[in-house]
Amino acid sequence: MTSKEAEALGKTTRPRTGSRHPLQRIGLPLVGVVLLIATWEVTVWLNDLDSIVMPRPMEVLRALGDLVVSGEFWDDVVVSLTEFGSGYVIGVFAGVVVGVLMAEFSVFRATVHPVVEALRFIVPFAWIPLVILWFGTSLLGKTLLVAYATFFVMVVSAAKAMQQVDPTLTKVGRMLGMSRWRLAFAVQLRAAAPTIASSARAAAAIAWIAVVAAEYVGASAGLGVLIINASTSLQTDVVIAGMVVIGLVGAGVSAVIGWLSRSYLSYV
Amino acid sequence: MNAVSDPAPATRRGGELIVDNVSHHFASGPRRVDVLQDVSFTIPPGAVACVVGPSGCGKSTLLNLSAGLAGPAAGELRWDGDPVRLGQNRDVGMAFQQPGLFPWMTVERNVAVGLRTRGHDKRDAARITAEFLETVGLTEFKDAYPTQLSGGMAQRVGIARALALQPRLLLLDEPFAAVDAFTRLKLQQEFKSLLKLSAPTVMFVTHDVPEAISLGDFIVVMSHRPASVVRIIEINREDRDRSSAAYAHKLSETLECLGVTSDMDAATDD
Ligand SMILES: Nc1ncnc2c1ncn2[C@@H]1O[C@H](COP(=O)(O)OP(=O)(O)OP(=O)(O)O)[C@@H](O)[C@H]1O
Ligand SMILES: [Mg+2]
Repeated sequence: MTSKEAEALGKTTRPRTGSRHPLQRIGLPLVGVVLLIATWEVTVWLNDLDSIVMPRPMEVLRALGDLVVSGEFWDDVVVSLTEFGSGYVIGVFAGVVVGVLMAEFSVFRATVHPVVEALRFIVPFAWIPLVILWFGTSLLGKTLLVAYATFFVMVVSAAKAMQQVDPTLTKVGRMLGMSRWRLAFAVQLRAAAPTIASSARAAAAIAWIAVVAAEYVGASAGLGVLIINASTSLQTDVVIAGMVVIGLVGAGVSAVIGWLSRSYLSYV
Repeated sequence: MNAVSDPAPATRRGGELIVDNVSHHFASGPRRVDVLQDVSFTIPPGAVACVVGPSGCGKSTLLNLSAGLAGPAAGELRWDGDPVRLGQNRDVGMAFQQPGLFPWMTVERNVAVGLRTRGHDKRDAARITAEFLETVGLTEFKDAYPTQLSGGMAQRVGIARALALQPRLLLLDEPFAAVDAFTRLKLQQEFKSLLKLSAPTVMFVTHDVPEAISLGDFIVVMSHRPASVVRIIEINREDRDRSSAAYAHKLSETLECLGVTSDMDAATDD
């Protein structure tokens, strides 16, 4: 019996990926990208669009190449990533702390819940005029805006994740004699961690949107600024190249967070 | 190796659990669901009480109250003469109806974490863990994660975790419900021999009346919700021989108390 069970175990140890042929694993996403670019190319060609309205993929690629070799571009990337990173870390941390406290203490929850509900629908963009008024185009203002955007996603999802922890796990911890704090951190928060991590990944997208939006409106550097400047000088290829970079950097950040949560939080 | 270096068996001997006129209810929205009503019985030190009763009558609730995980709405539970305190009772080991394994820990760590929490050092915990994983037949799976286990295997880990604490009050909630008949018999055997080594006081919830007869010193039959004790049926040594008339008699007596016709074939499960 047990050796058969062991065999079954061996089979399940590596789930998910790897079921497809490597050729398919690389090939299929490639097909998707090629289709996207082909549609783009064909659309431009069919409508005979001017490159100011819509440049062709090759032109954008060229603009992208020019950007990458220029030093300013990297400064912009660093500025945007700094705004993102500082705000995101603060927002995730504060959001998880408040969310956990809400789940653990009903008095705290009753007090904070209405405030959270009132504020979380005042989207970050609505704050931009005030942020510029108070903080100008400084890093601090953008950091706070990004933190704000992240915070409200995380508060709600962290509190929910904590409340959805299997009550049997809590009972087990108490039966074993764990202290209240150990129970909260080593059992409940740990059990909620994978759910919280996946919300953190979703929050990264929102935080990144907040960065770019804030830069569109008021900033002296960053990818948003790069795009706005290019658009005022009708360099549409640079605009789109900037958009591509925003997409790539965002996807990269999301992948890093996903990788972190897989390597530190997942079970198998 | 000194496998018998456990604390003197005398200190691990079970105490007396008294369930005294316990009633309990839950709030279900605006409604109040009465679950237990004036439940009274006593488990003498080292005795095994098997609790049977219809689904949803309050058996798991009774175990939670006995473990001090919740306080009864009315009445009192006493352990070794003192009221069961809400919170930690270091004498209790409980295997829950859902295994409740920590999914981020391996099987081995799931068992060891209880011992570590109760103050055993690392080496001690590892040794006892290995011993009880052997008991439930899961040594090979010590490095597996709960998601990689079948339902019955997970339940066995939960049992090992409870047993490894070497508790003076052992609370088991349908521990063998999810395993096949063959493994169940084996586990029942193991369980009996474990009880001979140390003699904890046991409350054992089961749906399986033959199991209750073969393991219990007495059976507490509970009624539909709100549950009260219908009858306490003493089990003697001769009642355990499944081919005996005494066994058949106890079986039909228990089933009758449960309101089931004494059809033996239909009775083996549920
Ligand atoms: N935390 C809770 N909140 C509200 N109601 C509850 C709670 N726990 C149990 N109940 C209710 O109490 C009743 C008894 O539940 P319990 O789990 O003790 O039954 P049980 O006898 O163990 O049933 P089973 O044999 O199916 O395991 C059920 O009707 C259930 O709905
Ligand atoms: Mg139950």
